[in-house]
Amino acid sequence: MKLFVKYNRINLAATIIIFLLAAVAFYFSLQYVLIAQLDDNLETEQAEIEKYVAEHQKLPEVFTIKDQQIVFSLAPNNSNIKRRFTNVLLYDNVDNNVDVFRQLSFGIQVQNKFYEVKVSKSLEGTEDVIKSVAIITFVTILLILLVSFFINRVVLQKLWKPFYTTLGTINNFELSKQKQITFQPNNIEEFSTLNKIVEKVINKAQQDFISLKQFTENASHELQTPLAIIRTKLDILIQNENLSQQQTEAIHAANNALQRLANLNKSLLLLTKIENNQYEQKTNINFKSIIQNKLIQLNELIQNKNIQLGLNLEEVSINMNNDLAEILLNNLLINAIKYNVQGGKIIINLTSTQLQIANTAQTSLDTTKVFTRFYKAEQSAHSNGLGLSIAKQICDTAGYTLSYSFNNNYHYFIVSF
Amino acid sequence: MKVLIIEDELELLNSICSYLGNDNFICETATNFHSAIEKISLYEYACIVLDITLPDGSGLEILKELKKKHKADGVLIISAKNSLDDKLQGLKAGADDYLTKPFHLPELSARVEAIIRRKYFNGNDVITLNEIVVNTSQKTVEINNTLIDLTKKEYELLLYFISNKNKVISKNAIAEHLWGDDMDLADSYDFIYTHIKNLRKKLLNANCTDYLKSIYGMGYKFSIH
Repeated sequence: MKLFVKYNRINLAATIIIFLLAAVAFYFSLQYVLIAQLDDNLETEQAEIEKYVAEHQKLPEVFTIKDQQIVFSLAPNNSNIKRRFTNVLLYDNVDNNVDVFRQLSFGIQVQNKFYEVKVSKSLEGTEDVIKSVAIITFVTILLILLVSFFINRVVLQKLWKPFYTTLGTINNFELSKQKQITFQPNNIEEFSTLNKIVEKVINKAQQDFISLKQFTENASHELQTPLAIIRTKLDILIQNENLSQQQTEAIHAANNALQRLANLNKSLLLLTKIENNQYEQKTNINFKSIIQNKLIQLNELIQNKNIQLGLNLEEVSINMNNDLAEILLNNLLINAIKYNVQGGKIIINLTSTQLQIANTAQTSLDTTKVFTRFYKAEQSAHSNGLGLSIAKQICDTAGYTLSYSFNNNYHYFIVSF
Repeated sequence: MKVLIIEDELELLNSICSYLGNDNFICETATNFHSAIEKISLYEYACIVLDITLPDGSGLEILKELKKKHKADGVLIISAKNSLDDKLQGLKAGADDYLTKPFHLPELSARVEAIIRRKYFNGNDVITLNEIVVNTSQKTVEINNTLIDLTKKEYELLLYFISNKNKVISKNAIAEHLWGDDMDLADSYDFIYTHIKNLRKKLLNANCTDYLKSIYGMGYKFSIH
C-alpha cells in the first residue's frame, strides 16, 4: 500500500467520523433550539390567553390560523391540570393532513369553571429547517471530503515526488557501472537528508567496489611477473644436461603447478575484466563460423575421446564483444569435451534465439552451484572451476541468460539471446 | 644480430638474456625508460623486447620515440597486462607482436625470430638448417630438396624446434605453443607425443638426420651439433 493511500484512508475515516458526530450534534442542538423557541411562543400564547381571561372573565374566541390550534375543554372541578409540553399528531385543517404538533396543555379557571387549554403549533416548519440543515450539512461533508481527498492526492503526490525520484534513481543504479549518482536538489529537509545519506552510502560502496576490483586486478597483474620469472628460470634450468631423473621430475611437477597457477590467475583476471566492463566494443558476430572454427581447433580432443558431433547450426549474427564470444564458446565447448564420456556425443543447436550445447554424461551437476566460482564436480587438477563462472559472467554482461539442466544422461547448457 | 631487452625486473631480464644470448643473438639490456631511450637512439637493433610497464615511463612512449626517429627495429611487447587495449595500442604504436607474462622462453625466442624474419627478409624467408629448408612464407618444408608433406601442427612444431634449436623445450611450452593455455595438460601430453612421433617419422623417411631427442620426463630437444 502506498504511503499516501494509507494516509488518505486514515484521514478520510477521521474526517467522516468527525463530520458525522458534528452533524448529529448539530441536528440535536438545532432541534433543541427550535423547539425551545416554539415552546417560548406557546408560553406567550398561554400568557395572552391568561391575560384575556383575567381581563374579560371569559374564554377568548378561537380562530384557526395556519399551523396553530387552540382547544378549550371543560375539566372537572379542582382537577389538577399539570402544565406540560408534548409532541402530538393532530389533523391540520388548513393543510388537510396529519402533522406533528408541539402542544402546551395547561389549566385555566373562568368564573368557577375549570378548563383545560391545549395550544398547539405545527412542527412542520421546524422539521423543514432541520431537514434542509441536515441536507446542507451532508452535502458540505461530501464536498469537503471529496475536495480534501483530491487535494491530498495531488498535494501529497507532489510533496512525495522527490522521494519517488530518489527511489527511481537508486533502483536504476548499478554498482558495476561506474556512474556517479546524482539527485535533483529539493528544498524539503527530510528528502534532501535522505538524498545526502543515500549519496554518501553509494559513494562509499562505489569506492569500496572500485578498490576491491582494482585490488583484484592489480594483484593478478602483480602476480604475472613473478610467475614469468619462475617459468623462465625453469626453462633455463632444464637446459642443464646433468640433471638427475629426480631433479627432472621435480622441475616437471613444478612446471605443471606453475601452469595451473598461471591459468588460475589468467581466469581471475579475465573475470575481473569482464566485471569491470573492459570488453565493451561490440560487433556483429557470426556464431556459426566461430563454432565451426572452434570445433576444428578442438578436433584432436574430440577425436581422442571418439566423440560424435551432432550439429544443427543456423546462420546467426549476434551483437557482442568478439573476444568474449570466443571465450564463451571456447569454455562451453571445452567443457562439453572434457566432461564427456569415451565415445559420447555432443549436440549443438544454434538458432536466432538460443544456443544449446548438450553432451553425454553420467550424473547431473549440482544445479545450484554449477556456475559458482571454484565449483568442481570432481576434484581435478585439470580444472580450476572458473570456466563456467566466466561463461556465466560473459552472458550476464551481454544481457543473455546461461542455464544448465540435466536430462536423459545429457548435460544441457543453453544460452538464450 | 643485436637484440635489446627492456625490462625492469632484473631476474626476468637475466633469464631472457641467458636464453636468447646463447647462440644467435647479442643481448643488450636496459632496465629503465631513460637508458632504453638512450640505447635506441644510439644503436640499431634487430629486435627490441619491450616491457610496457617501466618504473619511470611507459613502453608506449619508447615506441613513439622509435617511430619519431624512423627506426625500423622490430618490437616485441611483453606485458603483465593481458588486456586488449594494451595490445591494440601497442600494435598501433608500431610493435610487431605482443606476448603476455608469464611466457615460456622458447615462445619468446620463436616470436623474436619470427619478427626478425619478417622485418629483414620481408617475410619471404627461407630457413636453412643443414638438409632442412623451411619456407616460412609458403609454409613448406624440403628435406634434401624433396618437399615433405606436414600437417599444420607438425609444421608449427618443426618451426618451433628450429627456432629453439639445441634447447630443451618442456612439454608445457610445446603445448602452449600449439594449443594456447586452454588445453587440459594431461591430454595435451598425449597429443604432443603423437605429433612429435609423426613429425619424426616423416623427417626420417625423407632421410633427415634424427635431430629430435626426447629428454626423459622433461621435453624435447632439436639437437644440431
